[in-house]
Amino acid sequence: MRKLYNRLMAFLSVDHPSVGLKQLPLAVVFVISLLLLLLVPGVNITNPVLATIGMGLVLIATVCSALLTRFRSAERWAILIPLIDLLAIGTFRAGTGGILSLFGGMILLPVVWIAAEKGRRYIVVAGVGTVVALIIPYVVGSTEFMSASDVVRWTFSPLIYVFVAAIINELARQSRSQVRSIHELADEKERMLQRTFEYASQLEESEAKFRAADRMFRGVWAAVTEQSVIGTDVTGLIDAWNPGASKLLGVAQDDAERKRYVFEFHAADELESRARELNYPPGATVLNPGFSALVESARLGDAESREWTYVRDDGTTFPVALSVTKRVDESGETIGYLFVAADVTQAREVARLKDEFVGLISHELRTPLSSILGYLELMRDDDEHPLSGEQEQYLAVAERNAHRLLRLVGDLLFTAQVESGKFPLDLKDVELEHIVTAAVESARPAATAAGITIVEDVTDSTPVTYGDPVRLGQVCDNLISNAIKFTPKGGTVTVSLSRSDKDAVITVRDTGMGIPESELDQLFARFFRATTATRNAVPGVGLGLTITKAIVTAHHGEMGVTSEEGIGTEFTVTLPLVAQAAALR
Amino acid sequence: MSGTVVIADDDSDIRALVRISATRAGLDVVGEHEDGDSALAAIRREVPDIAILDVAMPGLSGLEVCRLVRAESTLDGVRILLLSASVDEPTIAAGMSAGAADYLSKPFSPRELAARLSAYAEESR
Repeated sequence: MRKLYNRLMAFLSVDHPSVGLKQLPLAVVFVISLLLLLLVPGVNITNPVLATIGMGLVLIATVCSALLTRFRSAERWAILIPLIDLLAIGTFRAGTGGILSLFGGMILLPVVWIAAEKGRRYIVVAGVGTVVALIIPYVVGSTEFMSASDVVRWTFSPLIYVFVAAIINELARQSRSQVRSIHELADEKERMLQRTFEYASQLEESEAKFRAADRMFRGVWAAVTEQSVIGTDVTGLIDAWNPGASKLLGVAQDDAERKRYVFEFHAADELESRARELNYPPGATVLNPGFSALVESARLGDAESREWTYVRDDGTTFPVALSVTKRVDESGETIGYLFVAADVTQAREVARLKDEFVGLISHELRTPLSSILGYLELMRDDDEHPLSGEQEQYLAVAERNAHRLLRLVGDLLFTAQVESGKFPLDLKDVELEHIVTAAVESARPAATAAGITIVEDVTDSTPVTYGDPVRLGQVCDNLISNAIKFTPKGGTVTVSLSRSDKDAVITVRDTGMGIPESELDQLFARFFRATTATRNAVPGVGLGLTITKAIVTAHHGEMGVTSEEGIGTEFTVTLPLVAQAAALR
Repeated sequence: MSGTVVIADDDSDIRALVRISATRAGLDVVGEHEDGDSALAAIRREVPDIAILDVAMPGLSGLEVCRLVRAESTLDGVRILLLSASVDEPTIAAGMSAGAADYLSKPFSPRELAARLSAYAEESR
């Protein structure tokens, strides 16, 4: 049913009428004319042959139109149908009374069809077709040219038809162009609708994303209860206050946001002294100078983290590690700052306890060691009861191990001091040549005993750095004794001193067992031991390089290492020369 | 005897070690104490030539005893030698500024301690 309806609608389509539909009026008119011929007296067929040919042609044209409607691919031949129609009408007219025939008016139907086709040339086609149709009665029929009025008739009538054709052609053109515009508008509307749908779905999607991000942000914001997160505008007025801030500072969100300034929660004297350090003019400026001091680094684009003191409204204080960062809008303009702070009271307490513990351990270990070493010495010094050679030997072993333990305790203590960031440096100008030479000379006996050649290579004796000679000596000692420890008999340890533009460079190179490349970056970690060291049973606990690096870093120097397993290792210490060192002070 | 000495250390083995060193240096040990308070009392009572004090002791620390002794003019003649298990430069500096004549860090060599004590005894003679 539906299919039938669709086919009917396609057939009747007004925008693009089918060939069949165009032919239909003429077919109907022909049927009516036949009925008239049969029923109305006085309407007669004058030439049955021509009338029959005419009807036959119409029948052919109608059948063809039906076929063309069915097979649309052949539609370009459709224009032949009205032309056949014209022939049919001409012939039929000739068979039904010639120029006196009642059926001349039918010509209008194919003329309208032809004229409505696209293109001006169809006006001409319609005109020629009309002339042919009108002339047929004279050519094939019994009609003779009778008078001048006949000539006028078959020239004047086609002229009218041409005009009609021209008008129809123009109207059809306009109509087509209107239809096209309407189609274009409809397409445009369709596209816009489509686009609107797309936008709507995109909007929906991004809104969902935004909502998810918002939920995530709110979740994180609410979950941060141990750190205070405070947002401010550029003047320090608080516009964001998280639960952590409420918890740590004891002020509710509603009482802080838009009502308080962030610097009200800072120890005023701390802000003042920081402002003085940064040379801000004292007294009131446009901005609170304390606030300017607080955000100085962040304002310049560095994320700064340092310790400050927060003050609660009841006057109690607590230390915080505070990171300050800049908030910017889409154009990169600063719109405020973010203050993320963690209470470090506990961390400080832990550090204090650790210091105390280290002190205690150091004391408790050194005291018995003092007794052991002291009494061993007394035994050795007892002139009244001199020791046998064997006893001396045993005593030496005990002493050596007691000293080893003592060194370990010293190293542990020093490492702890390094970690808490406070190990004492006795700074002065240091001529590095002396340090290097002394270290090489003191290592020489051990090197000789191990069958290792030690070479000192000082290309420039002038480097002077600003540092602690004892600690720098320790650096050289550690590196050289390590090199000796890790080098097999017959190997060489080369200690060199040179200088570049700004730095003194000490290198200690050995021909030892080397360090696997994968372990190089852990080398300076506390208690780390290279697999080559453990595999070859080289004694040590893994503190020497940690300490060495800490000393070098404290001197604003750098340490580097390159190594190849089985070939050797080279440690490089770079220390700033005295002018640079002074600048770093 | 050429001089007197008061010893204070909470570790009895160390005290004995110090005593042996002092005796070898020819000094007369007139008091041995394991806390700062009794050491201070002994110094006030005996007014020894030399006081050898451990820095970390129960009660008054060696540094505090040192400061209190230096604050009393009657005890001006008492030389104080501090002993400590700490190697901190600040502790040493604090000891010297508290008025100690010398500072020895543990572990110390009894031989060296005896040598220093002999030198003091020689000076004060």
